[in-house]
Amino acid sequence: MFKAIVSAETLTSALDSVSVLVDECKIHLEEEGLEIRAVDPANVGMVDLSLEAAAFESYEADGGLIGVDLSRLEDIAGMADSGQLIQLELDEETRKLHIQIDGLEYTLALIDPDSIRQEPDIPELDLPARVVLEGKDVNRSVTAADMVSDHIALGVDEGEEFFYVDAEGDTDDVHLELTREDLIDLQVGPAHSLFSLDYLKDMNKAIPGDAEVTLDLGEEFPVKIYFGFAEGLGQVTYMLAPRIQSD
Amino acid sequence: MGNAALRDIAVIEDVPFDEIEGVIAVDAHNWLYRYLTTTVKWTASEKYTTADGTEVANLIGIVQGLARFFEHDVTPVMVFDGGPSQLKSEEIESRREQRRTYEEQLETAREEGDEVAIAQLESRTQRLTPTIQETSRELLELLDVPVVEAPAEGEAQAAHLVKRGDADYVGSEDYDALLFGAPLTLRQLTSKGDPELMDLEATLERHDLTLEQLIDAAILIGTDFNEGVSGIGPKTAISEITERGDLWSVLEARGDTIEYGDRVRQLFRDPNVTDDYGFETTIEPDLEAARAYVTDEWSVAAGEVERSFERIEEYATQTGLDRWT
Repeated sequence: MFKAIVSAETLTSALDSVSVLVDECKIHLEEEGLEIRAVDPANVGMVDLSLEAAAFESYEADGGLIGVDLSRLEDIAGMADSGQLIQLELDEETRKLHIQIDGLEYTLALIDPDSIRQEPDIPELDLPARVVLEGKDVNRSVTAADMVSDHIALGVDEGEEFFYVDAEGDTDDVHLELTREDLIDLQVGPAHSLFSLDYLKDMNKAIPGDAEVTLDLGEEFPVKIYFGFAEGLGQVTYMLAPRIQSD
Repeated sequence: MGNAALRDIAVIEDVPFDEIEGVIAVDAHNWLYRYLTTTVKWTASEKYTTADGTEVANLIGIVQGLARFFEHDVTPVMVFDGGPSQLKSEEIESRREQRRTYEEQLETAREEGDEVAIAQLESRTQRLTPTIQETSRELLELLDVPVVEAPAEGEAQAAHLVKRGDADYVGSEDYDALLFGAPLTLRQLTSKGDPELMDLEATLERHDLTLEQLIDAAILIGTDFNEGVSGIGPKTAISEITERGDLWSVLEARGDTIEYGDRVRQLFRDPNVTDDYGFETTIEPDLEAARAYVTDEWSVAAGEVERSFERIEEYATQTGLDRWT
């Protein structure tokens, strides 16, 4: 059983943060809210999303599991204005999701969850450094790095106590330092890892500019990126595996 | 190269490379041959010929081809042919015959300076020389790509890997993969566009045949190992087998014979394959050694392979999250 009413904005934010990594996903319809966990086919980027029942106008569920084609569902949600409400109801018999937006009715065929890539195990990471910053600073770093390179190094200078971003291109380089004053919070620790910008750019697309974003970092370790949405009732955690640094 | 008439029977659809995941058991000779014919056709031979005149275009093909696999996160396992089966040796003999003809024509074309004819004929006269066999294996080893040695047909062994669940797809241009019982076969792996996926189960379902009947129908049309019955095309073969049940009943009814028919049938039904293989799918290429091997040891122009090596490097330096679980 699943029946819910949610604002288009909240639903779209949730879907967008998953669709930057995968085309299809499983959605757990728990009593307390929605849960989605997915990894890209190359096993490099992972998303773990939860959206509490309180983020919905109304919400009833009893632990079901559905598989969805994300771009389909995003297209439908895109039919609503951001303030509009979207009504979702699962038909257990036909395995279809009935979606209503202000008189518009859409019946979405679901995907067999067994045909969707298995949900990943969450890596156990003990990351020594923590950087808390505004979404717009993440965007600035990624955008600048992308102008010169395919990779981006993220690290923390323990002595001088700042967070830095490095990108080295064939001819041009980008370097950005954010000190305690520029950041919301900084826990200093040994941290320097290189990441693929292809992935980071996609993740960045889902990060709101005004969000408070936390980056947990280590030495040649995955980065954990997390932020809230829907007034803190939704939480997105990305994990991205590093590249090995040859030099 | 298998019988292209099988294409009319097989269920085949284009599938974007990005949607393919897992392990591909590649019919190595077939794959290398494709690269040799295209590489030779489009690039100048001085770029992959050593000072003493040995051609190693296969090295360019391997580097380009592997980059394509890695870039799409699929793991190739190269399956090499063992000795040819006795029946196929007749096919090989006739190909040799044809090659001699091409070589004579090539000689004439060179004398006449006909560039187009030379290019066409050069690609046709390519063969897997001992040097090509040996250097291919050595380069694959440096790049840490698993190799499986087939007792006979590489294709049959590749199909066997998929049937046993050790690989997800056979990679071959050859439609015969279907007859060896390959559940899923990818074609056009060396081309620029999307690969084609050939589905055995869907094929059998479409014609309401068993695999044994499909093999019989193919024998009627003709395979690598036998001449078909003259006048029988894909449509007739299927309807005849559906109506009469099997190869022998069809032949009897038509008063036709197929030489070695029972042996060809046996070759597809119970091919010479082995369970004696093992490989790891975590690939850690030694790129420095591979680069040196190709450009220093075998004098391939660096420009021909550098871009592909960079693409392989890109793959090799990206870790997966499973390392931390």
